[in-house]
Amino acid sequence: MKLFLFQCRALARLSLLELWRRNDLFVLLVLALVLLVPLASAKPFGAAGAVRYMDEAALLLIWGYSLFIALGTGARAFPPEFESRTIYPLLARPVSRGALLAGKFLGACAASLSALAFFYLLFAVACGLRGTGWFPPDLLEAFVLHAAFVALAVAVSMLGSLVMTPSCNLTLSALLLGGMLFFGRRLPEYADTAGGALKALVLALYAVAPHAEFFDLRQRVVHGWGAVDAGVVLAVLAYAACYCGGLLALSRLALGKKKL
Amino acid sequence: MDVLRLEHVSRVFGAVKAVDDLSLSLKQGEVVGFLGTNGAGKTTTIKMLLGILRPTEGTISVMGGDPADPATRLRVGYMPETAYYYPYLNARELLEFYGGLCGMDRRAVRARADVLLEQVDLAEAAERPLKTCSKGMLQRAGIAQALLADPDLLVLDEPFTGLDPLARIRFRQLLQRLREAGKSIFFSSHELGETELLCDRVAIMKKGRCFYDGPVSRLAGDGRENLERIFLDVLEKGEVAR
Repeated sequence: MKLFLFQCRALARLSLLELWRRNDLFVLLVLALVLLVPLASAKPFGAAGAVRYMDEAALLLIWGYSLFIALGTGARAFPPEFESRTIYPLLARPVSRGALLAGKFLGACAASLSALAFFYLLFAVACGLRGTGWFPPDLLEAFVLHAAFVALAVAVSMLGSLVMTPSCNLTLSALLLGGMLFFGRRLPEYADTAGGALKALVLALYAVAPHAEFFDLRQRVVHGWGAVDAGVVLAVLAYAACYCGGLLALSRLALGKKKL
Repeated sequence: MDVLRLEHVSRVFGAVKAVDDLSLSLKQGEVVGFLGTNGAGKTTTIKMLLGILRPTEGTISVMGGDPADPATRLRVGYMPETAYYYPYLNARELLEFYGGLCGMDRRAVRARADVLLEQVDLAEAAERPLKTCSKGMLQRAGIAQALLADPDLLVLDEPFTGLDPLARIRFRQLLQRLREAGKSIFFSSHELGETELLCDRVAIMKKGRCFYDGPVSRLAGDGRENLERIFLDVLEKGEVAR
């Protein structure tokens, strides 16, 4: 167990060092600057009431960024190891494929979550400066669930990176998660209007696809509807943990079958 | 007990038999050179020794254990053919990373890294990103990472590639010191001169099959030939001329 933890730590540290050394932080700063535009608008268009729309725009940007960063870091965890053949000295060490996968997953999550925390911090500071509280409970809940979604997105793209080409993986993962985020909750309604095989297909997709919409508390934060019941949050976190576990198990199978 | 034992090992990729009925052994403190042309099956054999690939047929034991077992791999140091390392790390960070994978705590890795970087003459360039290092420096970083966990068996894939003459001499001296310390060394090489200077035994591969496995002294002792001659015999005739 100790060896496993040491290995996970070493692999996670490698991912963070890569993020830092490859100057990916500059991308983060550029994204943050764009985010600051809606956040800095205390009275957008001269209308104090429009601040909600600006908050909504800012949160939408945070969701877009986090999806982009999580898919990117997850998708990049393994392919460069195979392309540059660093996988061989890595696998020659006393590292099991399970530990390798866990370490890579944790590293990609740590990198993506640090970016997410940075964006939420900017949002919280902007809210605090406007006098709506520095880190209200609903925002904290939104962050926790968003973080779980980021872990899910990392697991999706990591599995994709082991079975598809990088471009195919990024496109399909973004379509799946973005589609579920924005249209997932409407799928049952759509299934009702459709008939026959299409209905069965849509319902099957609804059952199997990751329910990104479970993690999205943007409307509650923007309209100040207050925090969700803790039991609901825990249930969604358990769903994320199970889904990530399933995806990592599939990734382990894919990694075992990878040609070396 | 043999440090390394391969018994009738074969590895098939689709229709290609990369390694065909290979049997080899390596004793403690022995240095064995593994020779052959490109595509002879040397790297596939090394991947099987390291537990990265499973043999299609036959058995491999390393220190009496399964090479895929992490506990066995902890006792094996591997240096890849080309220095495949993370370009954004420096040599010290590379050693710290591999040390972490071996379960070494950070303080122990740092102390060991200082010694190894000095040994491979890389102490002054220890903080340089690997992407700015020359091929020879990368090879030396590779040697250091292979020695990191003080392994009993060293598996080196083309270790002399990219080394300048001075670095070659130092590396040869280092390997000789390791042999004297009781370490077993198995290395593939195209450098027949270095192999002849270093090895107790050589195994010569051609198209996945081992055509010669025996001591270098026996080859040199027949008053006729050197390793180059033997190597050419195997490649041209498929056997060592007597």
